[in-house]
Amino acid sequence: MSTKPHFPSSAGLSRRQLLARSGMGFGALALQSMLEAEASNPLAPKKPHLEPRVKSVIYLFMHGGVSHVDTFDPKPALRERAGQTVPASFAEGLKTSRIDFRKAIVQPSPFEFKRWGKSGIEVSTLFPHTMKHIDDLALIRSCHGDAFDHAPALYLRNSGSQFPGRPSIGSWVSYGLGTENQNLPSFIVMTEGALKSGPQAYAAGFLPAVYQGTVFRGGDHPVLDLASPAGLPDAAQRATLDFIGEVDKLHLRTRPADSDLEARIAAYELAYRMQSTAPDAVDLAKESDATRTLYGIGEPETDDFGKKCLLARRLVERGVRFIQLYSGTHLGSDWDGAHDDLTGSHLRMAVKSDKPVAGLLTDLKARGLLDSTLVVWGSEFGRTPLAEGKNGRDHHPYAFSTWMTGGGIRGGQVIGATDEFGMRAVEDPKTVHDVNATILRLLGLDHTKLTYFYLSREQRLTDVHGENEFTSKLI
Amino acid sequence: MGATVKLLSAFVTSAFLAPLFAAPTGLADRAIAILEANCGACHAAAAMSGLNLTTRALALQGGSKGPALAPGNAAASLLYKAVRHNGAVKMPPGRKLSEGDTETLREWIDAGAEWPSAQTKAAESKWWSFHKPVRPTVPPVDGAHTAVDAFVIRALRAQSLTPAPEADRATLIRRAYYDLHGLPPTASQVSAFVNDKSPTAFENLVETLLASPRYGEKWGRFWLDLVRYADTAGFEADPYTADAWRYRDYVIDSFNRDKPYDRFVKEQLAGDEIYPDDVNAHVGTGYYCIGPNRDINPEQAEVNREEVLMDWVDTTGAAFLGLTMGCARCHDHKFDPIPKRDYYRMQAVFTPMVKTRVALSFLPGLNWDTMQNRNEVKMQEMADRIEATQLRCKNSLTEAKLARLDAETRTAVETESARRTPRQEQLFRAVRNQIGVGQNEIRACMSPGETAGLAEVEKELVGMALGQKPKPYACSVTDVSREAPRTYMPLRGSAVGDVNGELVNAGFPGVLGGADAPAPPAEAKTTHRRKALAEWLANADHPLTARVMVNRVWQQHFGHGLAQLASDFGSRGQLPSHPELLDWLATEFVASGWSLKALHRTIMNTAVYRRGSGVSREVIARDPANQWLARFSRRRLNAEEIRDSVLQASGALNLEMGGRPVVPPQSKEELYNLTRNARDAWIVTGDATQHTRRTIYIISKRTFRMPMMDVFDLPESMVSCSRRDASTTAPQSLTLLNGSFATTESRRLGETLAREASDDSTLISSAWRGVLGRDPSAEEARAARTLLERQTKNLGSRAAAAAELSRGLFNLNEFLYVD
Repeated sequence: MSTKPHFPSSAGLSRRQLLARSGMGFGALALQSMLEAEASNPLAPKKPHLEPRVKSVIYLFMHGGVSHVDTFDPKPALRERAGQTVPASFAEGLKTSRIDFRKAIVQPSPFEFKRWGKSGIEVSTLFPHTMKHIDDLALIRSCHGDAFDHAPALYLRNSGSQFPGRPSIGSWVSYGLGTENQNLPSFIVMTEGALKSGPQAYAAGFLPAVYQGTVFRGGDHPVLDLASPAGLPDAAQRATLDFIGEVDKLHLRTRPADSDLEARIAAYELAYRMQSTAPDAVDLAKESDATRTLYGIGEPETDDFGKKCLLARRLVERGVRFIQLYSGTHLGSDWDGAHDDLTGSHLRMAVKSDKPVAGLLTDLKARGLLDSTLVVWGSEFGRTPLAEGKNGRDHHPYAFSTWMTGGGIRGGQVIGATDEFGMRAVEDPKTVHDVNATILRLLGLDHTKLTYFYLSREQRLTDVHGENEFTSKLI
Repeated sequence: MGATVKLLSAFVTSAFLAPLFAAPTGLADRAIAILEANCGACHAAAAMSGLNLTTRALALQGGSKGPALAPGNAAASLLYKAVRHNGAVKMPPGRKLSEGDTETLREWIDAGAEWPSAQTKAAESKWWSFHKPVRPTVPPVDGAHTAVDAFVIRALRAQSLTPAPEADRATLIRRAYYDLHGLPPTASQVSAFVNDKSPTAFENLVETLLASPRYGEKWGRFWLDLVRYADTAGFEADPYTADAWRYRDYVIDSFNRDKPYDRFVKEQLAGDEIYPDDVNAHVGTGYYCIGPNRDINPEQAEVNREEVLMDWVDTTGAAFLGLTMGCARCHDHKFDPIPKRDYYRMQAVFTPMVKTRVALSFLPGLNWDTMQNRNEVKMQEMADRIEATQLRCKNSLTEAKLARLDAETRTAVETESARRTPRQEQLFRAVRNQIGVGQNEIRACMSPGETAGLAEVEKELVGMALGQKPKPYACSVTDVSREAPRTYMPLRGSAVGDVNGELVNAGFPGVLGGADAPAPPAEAKTTHRRKALAEWLANADHPLTARVMVNRVWQQHFGHGLAQLASDFGSRGQLPSHPELLDWLATEFVASGWSLKALHRTIMNTAVYRRGSGVSREVIARDPANQWLARFSRRRLNAEEIRDSVLQASGALNLEMGGRPVVPPQSKEELYNLTRNARDAWIVTGDATQHTRRTIYIISKRTFRMPMMDVFDLPESMVSCSRRDASTTAPQSLTLLNGSFATTESRRLGETLAREASDDSTLISSAWRGVLGRDPSAEEARAARTLLERQTKNLGSRAAAAAELSRGLFNLNEFLYVD
């Protein structure tokens, strides 16, 4: 499952694996120690293929499915045609989880829309704080996919495949670039609880397990089992660790030249160090009141997501490569409440994340971090422009919106468009592969070159797709 | 498998795909075969000195010593000079090619040094693994006492590698125990073996281990990895797969009985068709039931069906054939000669199949159904009685709550849901959580008479629950009828139900000699397609079945197979390190009646299995992956072995076998990622003695793995897994140091030690014997004594200090690795 936090012990590859991997034989031993420091750590920083725009990514994932026609994609036609079905051509071939596109009636948005910022982009009033940043955001209105249930759609957005088992984008990025802080995971996931997809949404799939997303929980001990056993004083923990180290060294004496054993000895020391460094990274008390207020910390609605956003900034500062924040959980409320309560669910969920996200953007910018950090906002799909019940919308993967900012992305622009009802992406459509290829490109990775040999071929995050990568439009 | 696959991929080279055994006909084929066999280890992807001989372009580009080839001019070619040993560069190092091979290379270079095209090779299908294994002659080799050793020693000598001496007895018994049982020997078992003077002591040990039911639990798990076993189906709902565990028990039992592997294959693929009267064989077809399954939703029935078919084809390809089928689903396989049509011919084998259930025996099945039906009637009746008993209180409590609402809200609440106006709906939603009445409130309100009435119903319910046993059924499969639905090869990648595609017949990959499945006999009730598949596969002449399986068993014993990619025997896979040994083992396996236990004997009762793991740095440097087997590869215990070994050492291990999956308690933090409510998704087994059963009996959920199992690389069960990862990470240390399992078991062992040992040196030596199966050395005992003193001071009790000693021992490399 989830909590496979893997930190780069000096450990990932053993010496013999290293030698094998680098294809060195007996002539190359001189190079060994020199290369080992770098190559034996699978998370050592690696050079990107191309000039990178950003070093880190914060991926804000709105769990459950955000309605595009109630947020970023205004459709006046929905009001004009309210209560009627859409023309047959718009519904043809579309399927979703509960409603029938041919029979369901058009439902106008209950939310008000207005033009924001200098760019005057029209967006609903659900995110008043975040929209103050509209001139920094590139809005993509033409995202589309084909998975209309949560779990497959979550897998698709994260790994490029509806079926679980493939590496998620955070894992690919960690594999491709390594990370700059060896005392923290490279790929960190923060959730409010379980996802509808389970942890496979941030799994490493066929990549080595060290690249898997590590779940940071709330509280002082973000990683499971980080705290010493309850009631055990630090001196006692240290004494037992000393004992382990001492006996392990006696064991190693009769087994020289085994770097697996050496690596595990080092892993224990790292584990002990992490017991103090990780709590420090998550210690939000070190932040000023002004900063905490900026993120909405202390206000009941925004406290939780605010803390996550602030933590994301602290992690970016510490060199963590890829951070994913999920707003909403399978076990509590999420955007999927829109099935029978569009208004309520979207109001509730928007409030939870709006101020924290806006605070994050403000803070990153003020600290100069936005130049080197890509922020992506997205969801697993949109919601049907047609009604489910009286005040609901069903899952809609055929058109939805995403925005990106940071790393010199030109804000205040809209890429792509949907048809007049928001049923399909019709102009400049972007698949998950196009979006993921773009994220990789901004990090300096060529999505066609970031490959891993598995099941008889060089696998890619974007499989054989991603041809509509759109970095040049963003910059 | 991650790191491992990466490691291996370094050896895999696209150009060295030439045949190994088939006599190459063309000059180019022969030349490339010579290069591949003699130069491939260093000058493929490894590109030693920068030279990569896998393509013509790379060879021409050359390495640090310049271009390897001068096409048309052998005499001027570095490669030719090097193999003749008449220049500064002499290759291969330490030996010369035969005159014949040297001459072939000369001819080939003079003729222009062309590489044969990949298409030619695919068309000719000469890849080694697509020919049936032919039993090779065992080479006469000095000092080799078994056939296996003869092949291994010959190769070692060719590499000028000196093998490590035999491991000591204590190492050997621990290795054998973990390899066959997944558990360590006890201290007394170790000393008995160490002191066994019999010349056949090791052989006897192997026999004892093979005869124990622990064997099936260890090797059953190996098979469950391959068939991506889990007790739930995954995705959003992650529902329980009915009776999945019956298949798990079937697998364990099959290994324990040493069921011939060909029979094992036939039962799983077509037990219902081949052995219709053998219930156990039907249970074997549970193989098809235990895969991942997307949530059932009528809107996606077609997608779901397509994915299930894909899962069956891909898993069958990987587990039984050792082939990657998945790529051919969308296009003709680039590297394997498995065309897209063959993929859909395989899929057509499964299109008529549906899941069903099979009664393990007739009468209990009938009784169970009868009881179920009766219970259903009773349950409905009891629900009515409960409602009636509680009606008065429910109404009065509800009324009291409604009375507190304003008139408009009250009207909204009382309006039938479909008739509410939007305003009313909003009002209703605002208060709906406040107006419900819970069981606690109702019970507090009930009169003694009502309570007595309810107690009557409760008594009946308890009676019903007491009678509840696992149902005497297992999941099995059958076909919809003798006629199969048609299978079309879609024009595009995976267009579901694309009837515009070409109609295909059920059949098996042509390159492996597979024909179409024959029409079923007139009296058949099913299509007999799976029967045809099973009989084609479980056949002594099949090029892959026996080879793939012996290679897997070899991999389990030595850490890597003779062919490195155990589930990828296609031509993007690899040449085996010891091709003749692999074929000898495969033919021996078939000759033994497909006996896995005989195969273990053949592999383990050898010098190569008994080698020590310690060798010089120089040997490690020369053969880092240990493909030539000069030593034994040390390995980390897998997740199950770690958990089971801790439990054995702490004295808590419950060796009861079989039955429905056990759910041990997990802390709230550990259940953090559970996707459903724990009340339904993590139903803890009531009987605490069950919590310490062997790990193979612990529930296996597709969306949630116990964190401790997860950090130690338990696979995800989404696809066939042929090889576990063995990573080394700090979170593993955190789990074994601080996790609830490790601390609980340390405390358990600590209490026992403190209670039973009167003095520290007895305590220390019992701790060592219990956890590591041996006595401590003087230095170790000193370290332990220091620890006990420090911890008694820190923690204030001897038992707590002993628990710390136990915790320390569970975290030692010696505990976590097998030499």
